[in-house]
Amino acid sequence: MTMPATPSAIPLNRSPARRARSSADERLLYGACVLVPVAALLLFFLFPLATIVWRSLVEEAGGVGPGNYLALFRTPGILRAVTNSLAVGLATTAVCLVLGFMVAYAVQRTRMPGKRFVSAALSLPLLAPSLVLGLGLIFLLGRNGLVSNLLGTRINIYGFSGLLIANVLYALPQAVLIIQAALRHSDARYYDAAEVMGATRWQQFTGITLPNVKFGLLSAGFVVFTVTITDFGNAVTIGGDFTVLATEIYNQVTGQMKFGIGAAVGILLLLPTGVAVYIERVAAQRQFGTGSESALPPVPDHVPARDVPLFLATMALALSIVAVVATVVFASFVRLWPYRLDLTTKHYAITLSGGYEPLWTSLGVSVAAAGIGTALLFALAFGLRRLPAAVAKTVYLLAVLPVGVPGLVLGLSYIFAFNLAGSPLHVLYGSALLLALCNFYHYHTQGFLTMVTGMRAVPPALEEAATCLGGGAVRVLGDVVVPVMVPTLLSVFFFLFMRSMVTLSAVIFLVTPSVTLGAVSVMRLDEAGFVSQAAAFSTCIMAVVAAAALAMRGAVTLATRRTVS
Amino acid sequence: MLQFYGRAWEKARGKAWAAGAILMACTAMTQAGTARAGTLTVYTALEEDEIADYVAAAKADLPDIDLKVLRLSTGDLGARMLAEASNPQHDVIWGWAVTNMLDPRVMALVEPYAAKGSAALPAAYKGADGSWFAATGYMAAFCVNTELLKAKNLPVPTSWKDLANPAYKGELVMPNPVSSGTGYLQIAAILQGQGNETGWQFLKTLDGNVAQYIKSGSKPCKSARSGEYAIGTSLAFAAIKSVEEGFPIKMVIPTDGAGYELEASALMKSSKNKEDAKRFLDWTLSPKAAALYTKYKEIVTIPDTPVSKAAREAGLPADLQTVLYPMDFAKSAKERDAILQTWQGSIGR
Repeated sequence: MTMPATPSAIPLNRSPARRARSSADERLLYGACVLVPVAALLLFFLFPLATIVWRSLVEEAGGVGPGNYLALFRTPGILRAVTNSLAVGLATTAVCLVLGFMVAYAVQRTRMPGKRFVSAALSLPLLAPSLVLGLGLIFLLGRNGLVSNLLGTRINIYGFSGLLIANVLYALPQAVLIIQAALRHSDARYYDAAEVMGATRWQQFTGITLPNVKFGLLSAGFVVFTVTITDFGNAVTIGGDFTVLATEIYNQVTGQMKFGIGAAVGILLLLPTGVAVYIERVAAQRQFGTGSESALPPVPDHVPARDVPLFLATMALALSIVAVVATVVFASFVRLWPYRLDLTTKHYAITLSGGYEPLWTSLGVSVAAAGIGTALLFALAFGLRRLPAAVAKTVYLLAVLPVGVPGLVLGLSYIFAFNLAGSPLHVLYGSALLLALCNFYHYHTQGFLTMVTGMRAVPPALEEAATCLGGGAVRVLGDVVVPVMVPTLLSVFFFLFMRSMVTLSAVIFLVTPSVTLGAVSVMRLDEAGFVSQAAAFSTCIMAVVAAAALAMRGAVTLATRRTVS
Repeated sequence: MLQFYGRAWEKARGKAWAAGAILMACTAMTQAGTARAGTLTVYTALEEDEIADYVAAAKADLPDIDLKVLRLSTGDLGARMLAEASNPQHDVIWGWAVTNMLDPRVMALVEPYAAKGSAALPAAYKGADGSWFAATGYMAAFCVNTELLKAKNLPVPTSWKDLANPAYKGELVMPNPVSSGTGYLQIAAILQGQGNETGWQFLKTLDGNVAQYIKSGSKPCKSARSGEYAIGTSLAFAAIKSVEEGFPIKMVIPTDGAGYELEASALMKSSKNKEDAKRFLDWTLSPKAAALYTKYKEIVTIPDTPVSKAAREAGLPADLQTVLYPMDFAKSAKERDAILQTWQGSIGR
């Protein structure tokens, strides 16, 4: 980020005229790389957010002032909600960082078997509707769950412990996404040198590996903490009487049709995103974790003392996640869970709320969200490296802010911002495109941090070399940046795709009678009392996501094999 | 679609048409349901399977109206309608909790219309100025898991008073009135029925037995039917559904004051298709609609409608007025803030 602008003295082999033309081209490209995503962020995130700030200041009596914030502090039990939020947020962050690093390390840096299985299991919570995770946990760990019945007791998970488990399940894959991007690239020569100097493996780990992923770990911790304190879905399902700050939004908006205090909570929940200032400073330290042009990718060797425990631990984790989801999939084939366990496919005959049609709308919306999102995020992360530090910092903060906005607040903000009579933006309101954009900005931060983490591995010297060999900015992108970034681009694409297929809290405010989504169908079936059908519909969503992901991955593998080799 | 993105990847370098194609796809995606003549957008909180039935019949009777229905839960729908208030997207509110409907901000959005048939409705089931009317309603009920009670050797409760029996301690779940309209209507009925002082005293006693205040109105019933807890105070609809699905659930309508809620309908002031909107509202009070309501609703307000199947199964007499506590909806809407404040201060966890 502190890198000087395009190296001006280097291209010696070109005529002045050509040089001028190509550097103008480059400025245009780099400018567009930053301007387009930033303009989109302003329009589709900051502008809607501003409407929420405004709502938080409009008092119930009609005036403008801090009344909603004062009323919030007078709400009975609000202090307890704040401390509860902090407690469960910190606990979730600690657990997710330890587990997330373990999984990412096991997958990227060891030779243990079963990596594909672990990766697949870890993506399950991303592509499972939240109903599945909530139901699965209750089916397994509830008072009448499988474990309770095996042990002959009635375990009570409702409360802190249930919320912690549910949050870890939800946030862990997002932590792994970012940490994995940080661990993906490294330089074997550091390790060789350390080996020669007699450093033990542990010393190599603490001296080379950990400092190199510092940025990734901080970013992951930031994301986990923020998504945990802003989420109320889990708190509503499994939190029992354990109140958190985010549920106050639900109480106010859904329970009592009041926006003022709900908006105020939404704004307060943005405060922790201020931590990102510190993370950005770490990002500016280039001595660690950046790619080198002559880096040799480390080839993990087989170390039983490390790989066997990691194998056992990650397998246990992966199997637990699979168990939660598989229980719900199984229950969708059972006549009446948990009373009549004979198998049936009758729950799959869904005719209510539009049948399976919304599933296909979801597919289109999600491919669009992932396609638009990945392109914009890549451009932003690429362009950001060439901005002056002060500007880059501002853009960075804007780009990480969306994670602090609860889905319900984001959805409402889109109504406030885009349902204005006479505004040209109104054409978007009620469209599938707006749903796609909303889903993308809902998960903007996670995608952005993953992209930035991955981009740090692109060796600056190689870019410079490509430039002096006469390659324009387009060549630099195509020959240097994209090949290094392919795995990160793919993981961001699939992350956005999967989340967009199942996220619910924002889109319930944007679906229309004509444009509705699969995740909303799951909610409607569940609300109508057809829980088994909701589970069946969820199973279909997961199957479609998995099939689509496999197909797209296959297509991309074919395409890149042809172009790269 | 998949193929398209696979190819786009390959060609993306420098090929402008890929960007063009994405743009075209985007334009295709913005083709929102722009209002055509004869299109009627209806927002409703009625239950999913009844809507399917009613809409099919309404479409048969009003073939020239393109009926578009959005269903959301009471709370979500309220938030959405108020957020859209500056530029409403719907023509009609159909079957939405009257407690929410009476909110002054909602009342400001609707226009009085004396629907055909509304003159025959008793005064309690319509707004004095004709701004709303309710054809149907739902009531509070307990979902009792009979298997669990049998295993614990406990009797089936029949009233709120019964629920205060310490034997049920830790086996009772209620909806949280702060986040759930159902939760609020339950405690509002108790407070209106027993008077404030005894009412609050009773709620505090009951609180000793409550294992959890769940944040939605139908979830206590789901908790009871999946065997997590023995008794969930919920809605009759949720109980009936659970019995139909085959769960070991018995529906109990409390003998000492079942709170109930009316499902109100209204015409939007902003509607651009008021003619069709009025025809649809007329239809919701038609004899044909009334006949359909009896398949699902415990409470049908349209006079001379036979006792509904649901009501019979709930053990309700032909004249509902004898069991329903005469709720004062204007009062319960007005006192909501104060009651919730007190609840949060003295009972809320």
